[in-house]
Amino acid sequence: MVETQGFLSLSGLNTTPLPEPQRGQLANGTTLVQLDLPNAPVVCLDFWCRAGSGVEGPDESGLAHFLEHMVFKGSRTLQAGEFDLRIEALGGNSNAATGFDDVHYHVLIPPEACGEALELLTDLVLQPRLDARDFDMERQVVLEELAQSEDQPEEVAFQQLLKQSCLNHAYGLPILGAREALLEHTPEAMAAFHGRHYRADRCCLSVAGPLAALELDALLSNSALAGLKPSQRDVRPVPLHFEPGEERLELPRLEAARLLMAWPLPGAADQMSVVGGDLITTLLAEGRRSRLVERLREQLRLVESVDLDLNVLESGCLVLLEAVCEPEQLSAVRAEINAVLLALLQESPSEAEVDRARRLVGNGYRFSLEAPSAVAAMVGNSALWGREHNLQAPLDWLNEWDGRRLVQELVPQLQPQRAFVLEAVPA
Amino acid sequence: MKTAGVDQRELQGGCPLWLIDRPGPAILSAKLWIRGGSAADPTGQRGRSQLLAGVLSRGCGRLSGEALADLVEGRGAGLRCEAAEDGTLISLKCASDDADLLLPLILQMVSSPWLVEDQITLERQLNLQTLQRQKEDPFQVAHDQLRHQLYGDGPYGHDPLGVEAELAQLGREELQQCTQQLGQGGAVLVLAGQLPEQPERLLLEGLGGQGWSTQAPVRHPGALGLKRRSLASKLDDTEQLVLMLGTTTGPLGSEQALALRLLHCHLGIGMSSRLFVALREEHGLAYDVGVHYPARLGDAPFVFHLSSSSDRAKEASQELLNEWLRLLEEPISEEQLQLAKAKFRGQEALGRQTCSQIADRHALVLGHGLPFDFADRCLIEAETLTPEDLHQAAKALLQQPCLSLCGPDDAIKVAETVWNQHPLNRA
Repeated sequence: MVETQGFLSLSGLNTTPLPEPQRGQLANGTTLVQLDLPNAPVVCLDFWCRAGSGVEGPDESGLAHFLEHMVFKGSRTLQAGEFDLRIEALGGNSNAATGFDDVHYHVLIPPEACGEALELLTDLVLQPRLDARDFDMERQVVLEELAQSEDQPEEVAFQQLLKQSCLNHAYGLPILGAREALLEHTPEAMAAFHGRHYRADRCCLSVAGPLAALELDALLSNSALAGLKPSQRDVRPVPLHFEPGEERLELPRLEAARLLMAWPLPGAADQMSVVGGDLITTLLAEGRRSRLVERLREQLRLVESVDLDLNVLESGCLVLLEAVCEPEQLSAVRAEINAVLLALLQESPSEAEVDRARRLVGNGYRFSLEAPSAVAAMVGNSALWGREHNLQAPLDWLNEWDGRRLVQELVPQLQPQRAFVLEAVPA
Repeated sequence: MKTAGVDQRELQGGCPLWLIDRPGPAILSAKLWIRGGSAADPTGQRGRSQLLAGVLSRGCGRLSGEALADLVEGRGAGLRCEAAEDGTLISLKCASDDADLLLPLILQMVSSPWLVEDQITLERQLNLQTLQRQKEDPFQVAHDQLRHQLYGDGPYGHDPLGVEAELAQLGREELQQCTQQLGQGGAVLVLAGQLPEQPERLLLEGLGGQGWSTQAPVRHPGALGLKRRSLASKLDDTEQLVLMLGTTTGPLGSEQALALRLLHCHLGIGMSSRLFVALREEHGLAYDVGVHYPARLGDAPFVFHLSSSSDRAKEASQELLNEWLRLLEEPISEEQLQLAKAKFRGQEALGRQTCSQIADRHALVLGHGLPFDFADRCLIEAETLTPEDLHQAAKALLQQPCLSLCGPDDAIKVAETVWNQHPLNRA
């Protein structure tokens, strides 16, 4: 604990205490979490549900994401387009995103219109109309979205990397779905999917912004959320089976080669590992003085860029590396990356190097707490998956990692032989 | 006009300093906006501003590039230097407690950069690689093509990254010349967040008692557009056809710019916007559709963009051209205008969520030689505009648009035929 205190006094970012999320539950078990940001100009309402592409059955490819589109086509009480019109007339905006594990729908709105927006959002998401004509039209939009992503060769390469390494797990399948499957889907199948997964115990509403005068509690207990039924059976994320390996791919329209690598790490429930993963990826690849950027871009000048990201996922996190280089440099790039990873295994990074990474991660986290949408997403996602830590906790966990622990626990998991390596070259 | 929490000062040497006090999250954001970005690149040296921006943080004052990166990254801070068309922007974001160490860097970077040959070589190579890689993105290709249609070889005619053949020739001599000119066209520094006690002292530290010589940016005419209707096509083996339809208008703060901004809100902001509803919701023609209308010192582009499957090229191009024609032929309704105004107000509120956003917006406005409270004045003035005002602006500024296409051969042929027969091309 003494060590923790030392870091806190050094970091310069801990002068103001972080606000505490207020947690609650409706009678039916729907999770609520609110966070007061008194100085924010807008409120963010963020509805989360454990209905990402990961819960799709064999015939449901792309259905979770397609449903997210269809939700905006109206509900029992709202006409198609009416939601957007009303939210935007109130000076707000909305959007949604479907992931492997979950889906969320969010609205940013001036505080005075928050009550109305809450009612609109919950109506919209929980009672979708799924009109057959709208369904056919929106399918076209989803197919356009798919075509647009297929025109980005980099996205095609990443999709291949996941497909090859995550084998039959949902993380290896495209969230947008397969074209043939999309053509087969029906409004009835989508309604069944919605009915199965949008259940009280699988949903969470998160609210962040200036909340003091809003009195949301009464509104929430009268909203459509209160009408949700609990699940009939508990569906847990299927553990990830990751297969190391390698592959070389020729892609048309690629201008520079890509070296992509993927490694599995424990799932999001292991919060300590997630924080450690943030720390090690930052130490390796964030900033000119990080190991990989310094070696590959600044010194050897083999790459245009090298990035390393931790993707936090329930079934198992994925660390993804991307190096952009000339095709003839691929093997040199790969050898250097391997050498950097091996060197880290052989000698602990200095305290100064770990401190640099700790500050970058800690500041990035603190900076993100300025925007209500980022805060609502963070606390909403945590609450959805039953993680009830406060906002300070991740900063404290950061201090539990030092160079030796990183080398003992995380670096061995990020060695080349544990990775799936994909080389993508211009066709 | 005096605003609470805002203080205007002038640094030794003439740089205006604006202080926006936002206590709370213990964050400081600093933005130095220097007039003269890629539009000021001399003929034969296109890419110079961006190359210089990249090299500024690679050593200055007493610090080598490595020492500077160590200092910034070691405090977990972010420092970026980028050239846009009309200005070069230096952005620093840090924990407010680190201001003592980091604020002095800003003016040192612009007044005494090292410009080390080896670092210039690296930065130039990275920019060349990025230019090459951008060609993977059909949107980028269509955009580059349209830029040339709109501005020819004029100051806005190239990507801020430069033109490959010219960038390849740039070296230390050109950058030295460019450094001497930095600030001659005016500059402004904005700090937002938890402010240090003596910002002037910190900002002037390490300048050897000399300030950095500049002055407040004044209004002056920027680069012009060609205002000549044209069609250009680029073959690419993609699934989709990318369409960009645009023209050049006027500067930020010019007479009809606000009316055009409201048209932008009407057409392209949010899911209730005209283009989104007409092309995506009603026809399912696209996933991404929108309007690009950036703030510029000179003739700003006003562009519709859309990508649609190549087999729907006919319908997509017809509908897109029809939407443009509609703007010229009839005013929008009073109801649509009210919605556009609500979006305009909403955008303003949403753009003031973080210290960085606030500093950024004010630096941009001041950098254009406009008053500090320009955005607030626009909010008031917007309320007085009528549908007729918007229609007049459209008729005055949106005549004779250019069409840029990128995609497969057959789709391009179809779209070209539609263009050749469309009234918009014959008006």
